[in-house]
Amino acid sequence: MATKIINKTVTELSLRITRCFFVPSKAIQTNAALFQERSETSITNVEEQLLPTIRPPLPIIYSRKLAFPPKFKAVRQAWVSNMDTVEEEKLGLIDLHPEVFAERPRVDIIHENVRWQQLYRHVSYANTKVRYEVRGGGRKPRPQKGSGRSRHGSIRSPIWRGGGIVHGPRSPTPYFYMLSFNARLNGLRSTLSAKLAQDDLHIVDSLDIPTDDPSYLEKLVEERGWGPAVLFVDDNDIMPLNITAASDVHGHYNLMPVYGLNVHSMLKHHTLVLTLAAVERIEERLLFHLNRNDAAEAGRKHRLDSL
Amino acid sequence: MVSTLGMALRYRPLTGVSSKVSKANALFNPEWTTVRFRYHADKVAKGPVPRRHGYEEKLFQGGLLPRTAFPDRALPIPTYKPKNSWNEKRALFGQNDYIDILGPSNEISQKPLHPTQLLYHVPPWLRGVQGNEYQVLLRRRKFVQKKGYALGHPTKWATLNTRIKKLYRYLNHKTKSPFWKDA
Repeated sequence: MATKIINKTVTELSLRITRCFFVPSKAIQTNAALFQERSETSITNVEEQLLPTIRPPLPIIYSRKLAFPPKFKAVRQAWVSNMDTVEEEKLGLIDLHPEVFAERPRVDIIHENVRWQQLYRHVSYANTKVRYEVRGGGRKPRPQKGSGRSRHGSIRSPIWRGGGIVHGPRSPTPYFYMLSFNARLNGLRSTLSAKLAQDDLHIVDSLDIPTDDPSYLEKLVEERGWGPAVLFVDDNDIMPLNITAASDVHGHYNLMPVYGLNVHSMLKHHTLVLTLAAVERIEERLLFHLNRNDAAEAGRKHRLDSL
Repeated sequence: MVSTLGMALRYRPLTGVSSKVSKANALFNPEWTTVRFRYHADKVAKGPVPRRHGYEEKLFQGGLLPRTAFPDRALPIPTYKPKNSWNEKRALFGQNDYIDILGPSNEISQKPLHPTQLLYHVPPWLRGVQGNEYQVLLRRRKFVQKKGYALGHPTKWATLNTRIKKLYRYLNHKTKSPFWKDA
């Protein structure tokens, strides 16, 4: 059972590459020393009372340093909640970079991104046989003249029933194309901004939940009004055991690492829940690409067999 | 009916004639004239005038439904099973498509990745390929040649080569070059 759960969240990619990143703890100011250490083992018996979470005085998280400080846009702020209890407890308020989370949402770019995601991996295997591929049809059915009937050269010509198809589908037909780097970058920014603006984006400190009972997650989501489908995004691709087990039952609660985030998934799931680490990583990546000085190289058209 | 046209040319006296007027007199008789007594408007007023005379409507207009030989059972129809929108494939569709943006870029420990490298369910020679049938077939031939395709699949190898030849001839002799529209 353990392997089955792990396979759900750990992609092939993660088996090949090591941990994606390490969050520098200096970026987030926390009263870490005041945290009470809690045991990592899960409590499977639901009837047992949950350990009361003892917290230091709030706010725990109260500031965050933004890379590439914004010059022309106001900084956005968001609450940081917890996952320890069903009821929401706001642990603090953090700043979000407006270039990532407050970009004017471009619906046309979002549409382009979704269309690209749906099409670029699509291969049509529909196939029809041409006249010389259809079995038979090598002999002239009847002499050219004399029979009084129409003249034909082959019983598999396209005008015959059972004959070849002239301009039909030819397998395999790829529908691959690459959307430009900046279109995809702006798609991510637009979608994240739209999610924040529509109150569908929530930030939590971490994905550690006290039990692996699926009903805990259901109650939590119901209590907070977090939409039927929730996408939990963390920086690491190996998620805590409890939330993995709890979300395994439901198909509409999904866990994803930051490198797996995409426009289609963000739109498919009603609510997007990011951990602090995920927010750090997303901002770092997007701002890096927005402010790099070799952007021309990144934005270059992808050449086949160049990797 | 025997034509009485010839008889019409003969003069008939007005008196002493029987009440039945012959067909010949019906052609022209100054004593009487035809009067319209049937109007299309009256027919329309009675009810809708049928159109498409002779046309047989194939769709069910009402009345008894056809009956089957087995009155107790319903007609066979496949059971409807709604698709699961949240199975693993559909729920995580699109994951890792932005790996070149959100994944590692030129870090020392990890190489940057491109979404074309993650197309595991696409044939290896077709990953990241954009082209028409001719271009796709040429690439397939290049890849497949090395793996002894000619020995393992002789008919398909022959079909592949034939198709390439035919497409070459068609595209180069029968169609205009794609650059013509820019000229």
